[in-house]
Amino acid sequence: MHIGHYISGVAHAGVIGWALWGGSFRDDPPPFEVSGVSVVTTEEFERALAAEVSPSTATEVEVPVAPTLSDDAPDLSSEVDDTPELQTPDSASVEEPDSQPDLSDITAPQPAEVTDSAPTLSPPGEEMAVLIPRDTTRPMVRPSDRVAPEPVAPPPPDTKIDDVLKEATKPDDTPSDNIEEPEEATAPEEAAAEIVTEAKEQVALAPKASLRPVLRPGSRPTARPQTNSGSSASSSTDAAVAAALGEEPAAPSGPPLTQGEKDSMRVAVQNCWVVDVGGQSSNVTVTVRFNLDREGKVSSAVELLSSEGGDERAVDTAFQSARRAILRCQKGGYKLPIEKYDHWREVEITFNPEKMRLK
Amino acid sequence: MMRLLASLLMGLMVLGSMAMAQSGPLRIEITDGVVEPLPYAVPDFVAESTGASQLAGDLSRVIAEDLSGTGLFREIPEKAHISKITNFSSPVQFADWKAINAQALITGAVSVSGNNLEVKFRVYDVFAGQELGNGLRFKGTTDGWRRMAHKVADAVYSRITGEGGYFDSRVVFVSETGPKNDRRKRLAIMDYDGANLQYLTDSNAIVLAPRFSPTGDKVLYTSYETGFPRVFVLDVGSVRKNVLQDQEGTMSFAPRFAPDGKSVVMSITQNGNTDIFSMPINGGNPRRLTSSPAIDTAPSYSPDGKQIVFESDRSGNQQLYVMPAGGGEPKRISFGQGRYGTPVWSPRGDLIAFTKQNKGRFHIGVMRTDGSEERLLTASFLDEGPTWAPNGRVIMFTRETQGADGSAALYSVDVSGRNLKKVKVQGGASDPAWSPLQ
Repeated sequence: MHIGHYISGVAHAGVIGWALWGGSFRDDPPPFEVSGVSVVTTEEFERALAAEVSPSTATEVEVPVAPTLSDDAPDLSSEVDDTPELQTPDSASVEEPDSQPDLSDITAPQPAEVTDSAPTLSPPGEEMAVLIPRDTTRPMVRPSDRVAPEPVAPPPPDTKIDDVLKEATKPDDTPSDNIEEPEEATAPEEAAAEIVTEAKEQVALAPKASLRPVLRPGSRPTARPQTNSGSSASSSTDAAVAAALGEEPAAPSGPPLTQGEKDSMRVAVQNCWVVDVGGQSSNVTVTVRFNLDREGKVSSAVELLSSEGGDERAVDTAFQSARRAILRCQKGGYKLPIEKYDHWREVEITFNPEKMRLK
Repeated sequence: MMRLLASLLMGLMVLGSMAMAQSGPLRIEITDGVVEPLPYAVPDFVAESTGASQLAGDLSRVIAEDLSGTGLFREIPEKAHISKITNFSSPVQFADWKAINAQALITGAVSVSGNNLEVKFRVYDVFAGQELGNGLRFKGTTDGWRRMAHKVADAVYSRITGEGGYFDSRVVFVSETGPKNDRRKRLAIMDYDGANLQYLTDSNAIVLAPRFSPTGDKVLYTSYETGFPRVFVLDVGSVRKNVLQDQEGTMSFAPRFAPDGKSVVMSITQNGNTDIFSMPINGGNPRRLTSSPAIDTAPSYSPDGKQIVFESDRSGNQQLYVMPAGGGEPKRISFGQGRYGTPVWSPRGDLIAFTKQNKGRFHIGVMRTDGSEERLLTASFLDEGPTWAPNGRVIMFTRETQGADGSAALYSVDVSGRNLKKVKVQGGASDPAWSPLQ
C-alpha cells in the first residue's frame, strides 16, 4: 500500500527536481538575442512617427506653402468677374470632300451583257464633314453672387516680454500739464508654477493619428478626371480650401459599414451598369472614385482611377458606362447609414465585366 | 503566462490595425451588370430652311432605325419627350431628359439650299450633363440624304460604344426569284438596311458568292455563263465585268480579295483536284498555295494579309485550317463535332465566323483564330455563308426555309448571339457580302 505512495512521491520529486534544476545540468546556457535599445523621449518618438509617411499616398498633393500674412489689411475687391468672351473657332475640316470621280473614260454598260437592264449606279455625291464650332450662343456663365469681404482688422501686436507687467498707455486727448510718453504693454514670459518633466507627462498608449492606408495595388496610369454635372463645384472648392489650410479630413469614426450595407450600395449601382457584352469595352475593368454627400448623392466628379485591358477608346467607353451607372442610380441618394458617413464619404468602385464577357 | 499575455496583446494590436485599415474609401467591386438596350432620344432634327422639314423628319427616323436596329439602343418615343428641341443652338435641359431616363440625346438641324443638303448634329451624355465629342456637320446632296443619315448614325454609334459603325455600308448578294427547281439568280446591291436596291447582272446565268474589294468599288463573283464556273471581276460604278481566270479545262470559284486589293485568292479545280491559288487582280499566272488530294476551298485572308483560313476535307471531313498567306503547312483549328465550312476572318482580326453542320442542323458560329472558344450563334434548317459588318460586330448570312416552297433570305445577328433579325429585301436573297464603310 505504502509502496505505491513511495513510488509516486519519488516520481513527483524527480519531475519537480528536473523542472527546477534540469536546465542547470546543461553545459552551455541557451543562446539568447541581445538587442541594442535606446531610450527616446516622447517628443522624439512623435517626431519619428510624423516623419514616417507612407511613400505611396492616395493622392499626390503638393504641400501648399503657407501664405505670408502682411500686417496691412488685404485690398480685396468685390468686383464680379467679367463674362468671358467666347470666340467662334474656325471650322475644322475633318474630312476632305470626296472628289468627283472621273468617269470620262468609262463607257456605258454593254446592253448585250446585261439583258435585264442592269442600271448604271450614280456616282457618289460630293460630301464633306466639318466640325461644328462650339456654340457662340450657348448660355453664358451667370455671375455668381459674391459676398463683399470686409477688410480684416490687423491683429494686435504681440506683447513685449519684460519682467514687469505694464499696461499700455495712450496719450490722453484731454489737455494736461504732465505729458506722458506713450508706452508699450509688457508682460513677463509665460511660466508654469511647477516644472513638469517628460517623465511626469502622461504618455499616450496609442498613436494619435493612424497612418494613411496603403494604396490598393494596381497602376494609376491615366487618371483622367471627368466631370459630371456642376454639383461638384462647391465640394471641390471646399476641398481646395481645406488643402490650402492644411486640414486633413476627419478620420472615420464609429463602426465600419457592415457587409449588408456595402451590398446594398453594390446592388444599387449594378442594376444600372449596362454592359455591352459583345463590345471591346467588355474586356476592360475600370476603377472609379467619387464623393458622396450626407444624402448619399454624388457630390464630386466621377474620376477614373485605373483601368485594366483594352485600348484607349475601350477604356473610355467602359468609364462612361460606369459613370452613367453611378449617376443614374443615385436618384434621391444612395441609402447608407448617416451615422457612418465618415466611412462612405469617399467611394471607390471597381467595375469588372469578366464574368459577363463572351467566352 | 507572460508569453500568453504578449500574444493576446499582439492580437489586439493586429485587430486594431485592421480596423484602422478600413478607414479609407468605401471600396466595392461590381462583377454583375445588366445587358439591355441603352435608352436614347432623337427628337426630329430642326429644319433651318424652308422646305427642309420633311427631310429633317426623315433623317431622324433613319438615324433612329439604324441605332435601334443594332439591339444596343432603345429609342424613347417622341410623345414621351418633355423638352422640345426647336433650336439647335439652345441649351439642353438635361433634367427633362433625365426624367424620361434618356441616357443619350441626339440633336440636329437640317438646311436645304437648292440641291445641297447640310446636316449637323450633337450627341449628349444626359446623366453626365455633357456633350460626347464635338458637333459634326455633313454636306451633300438631297439625293444622298439616306447616306447622310447613316453617317450621323455611325458617328453617334461610335461615340457611345467606342467602336466604328457600319450603317454607311452596302451589301452585294444574289437575288433569287422563282421556285426552288427553277431558281433564277442575279447579282444585286443595296444599302445595308435593304434600301436602294439595284441589280448588277441579268438572270441568264447562275451567279454565286459575290465578294467586295477592300475599297468597295469592285465585286468578285462566280458565274456559270460559260457553262463552267468562272471567277469574274465587276466594276460597281460602270457595271463592266471581266473574267479573271479562264484557263482551259479548269474551274475557278470561291474568290476573295487580299486586304491590299491587289491580288485574289480562289479555288481552282484541275484534273479533278481542287486547291487554293492566288493571282494578281490585273491577271497573270495563278500561284498554288495548297497541294493536297483533298478539296481545299473557301479561302479568306486575315486583316493583316499574313494568313489564310480555308476549309478542307483532308482529314476525312470538312474542317477549318489556317496557313501562311504565301502557302505552307496548314494548321487545323476546328475540332468539334460535325462539319465546318465557309470561314471568314473578322475585320477586327480576333474571330473567324463559319458555317457548321451537325446532327442535321446548320449553324453560324464564331471561334478564336486558334480555334478556341467556339460559340454557335444560330441554328436552323439551313444557315450558311456568313459575312462580317465592317466593324466586326454583326454577321449577315443566308437562311433557307425547308420544303418545296422554301426560300432564301438574309438575316443578321450580333456577334454576341443577340438581335437575330431578317434583313428587308424584296424577294429571295442569298450569299451576302458586306462592303467596307463608304
